[in-house]
Amino acid sequence: ERRLIPAAPSIRRLARELGVDIHRIEGTGIAGRITEEDVRRAAGQAPAP
Amino acid sequence: MYDVIVIGTGPGGYHAAIRAAQLGKKVLAIEADAVGGVCLNVGCIPTKALLHAAEEVENARKAAEFGLEFGEPKVDLNKLGSWRDGIVKRLTGGVQTLFKANKVELKRGFARFVGPKKLEVNGEVVEGRSIIIATGSEPATLPGFEPDEQGILTSTGALKIEEGVPKRFLAIGAGAIGLEFASIMNRFGAEVTVVEFMPQILPGSDAEVANLLARILGKQGITIKTQTKAVGYEKKKDGYHVTLEHVETGAQEEIVVDKILVAVGRRPRTQGLGLEAAGVEVDAKGFIKVNDRMETSVPGVYAIGDVARPPLLAHKAMKEGLVAAENAAGGNAVFDYQIPGVVYTSPEWAAVGMTEEEAREKGINVKVGKFPLTASGRAMTLGATEGVIKLVGDADTDLLLGVHIVAPEASDLIAEAALALEMAATVTDLALTVHAHPTLAESVMEAAEHFHKQAIHIANR
Repeated sequence: ERRLIPAAPSIRRLARELGVDIHRIEGTGIAGRITEEDVRRAAGQAPAP
Repeated sequence: MYDVIVIGTGPGGYHAAIRAAQLGKKVLAIEADAVGGVCLNVGCIPTKALLHAAEEVENARKAAEFGLEFGEPKVDLNKLGSWRDGIVKRLTGGVQTLFKANKVELKRGFARFVGPKKLEVNGEVVEGRSIIIATGSEPATLPGFEPDEQGILTSTGALKIEEGVPKRFLAIGAGAIGLEFASIMNRFGAEVTVVEFMPQILPGSDAEVANLLARILGKQGITIKTQTKAVGYEKKKDGYHVTLEHVETGAQEEIVVDKILVAVGRRPRTQGLGLEAAGVEVDAKGFIKVNDRMETSVPGVYAIGDVARPPLLAHKAMKEGLVAAENAAGGNAVFDYQIPGVVYTSPEWAAVGMTEEEAREKGINVKVGKFPLTASGRAMTLGATEGVIKLVGDADTDLLLGVHIVAPEASDLIAEAALALEMAATVTDLALTVHAHPTLAESVMEAAEHFHKQAIHIANR
């Protein structure tokens, strides 16, 4: 069973586009929310300058 | 050869067809019956038209409270019927216009699979790189109550209000359809009874909020009998003598009514589609098996909406149509959204996310916040203070988990809650959002404040 994914629809879509399983990302935002940076970091992309 | 063939032009189908065309695909949409499907023709739209008329009747009566006297409203049922039909016609015509604007080809006829990507329509074989099945659903039947659309009705027959408002009306099933027709008939003067097999109306929904709606509808004069089944009837000169039985005690009683609506659910429409020829797998209940990309067991064949899986809701089908079309066009979309549910009684019921019961079953440290409409200034100015906003949240993280509403315009209020859930809002986020005053939406903010025991307009017990 899936847990609640604390990420906005645009973040969930970005994760799919970057080939990252959002269920495996630990969010660093408030209440464990997954941010764009969390997704990019999980995808191995350097954080935006 | 088409890029995408969509079978069915209901909410799911026309969304899929238009989105696929927007993505540059050559699209064929096939429709065996009326363009627009159940929702536009014999579902959402015509019921909402009748509900609006029925609510206006009630509002005209209630206006006497603030000195506005209309006398007992007279309803011209024929005129109401043509108004309802006019709306349906405008909207279904609109879908065809949108097809033309997006260069979606429309073929009328019943499509049948003759191969994984091949369909036969009117004796002609058409082929698509992708096929999207959007054939919808039809009313489920109840043994012993076979509909004839005269005295034993499905929702389609019940819409024909011009055939007269029955003196005594029985709805079997207290889901959205049963409750909405119960409301319509009650407002137009029928004596209404609703029976529900389960212990609460709107089974599966938040029990506390559903029970509040049941009480309010009861006060309006609708008799609701839960844990009750209709076992059979005898048609006599003075009406249908229906035998009701209590599910637990087995105690029987007889009621006499003029019309019976069977609203015990809907079943997916897959018969005659030739799914075997395509190799498309179906589950035990007849729904086409899909994953969250809306893909069936056959690569390139998708299924969406009522034929794919519950809940059987138009907006769910619409979004699933977009997901299927985007994937058929080479994208990577999944359906991972919160689906709000709405019942258009008055007051309306709406909910999204987890019920309190569900959240507890998941082992979450559940907390709730509630705000009654009796404390809402806006509700008072509308003469409609019956209802509540109930929030379910996680006490540890403060994340919002579910919102359950009984209120006027709950159908619109729930969109804020759906956005809040999609954005992973905390209950604090909801409480800190400035809501315009006076509005009904403020009650959502106040329920969030109550969650933290600091609502302003009620004592925070």
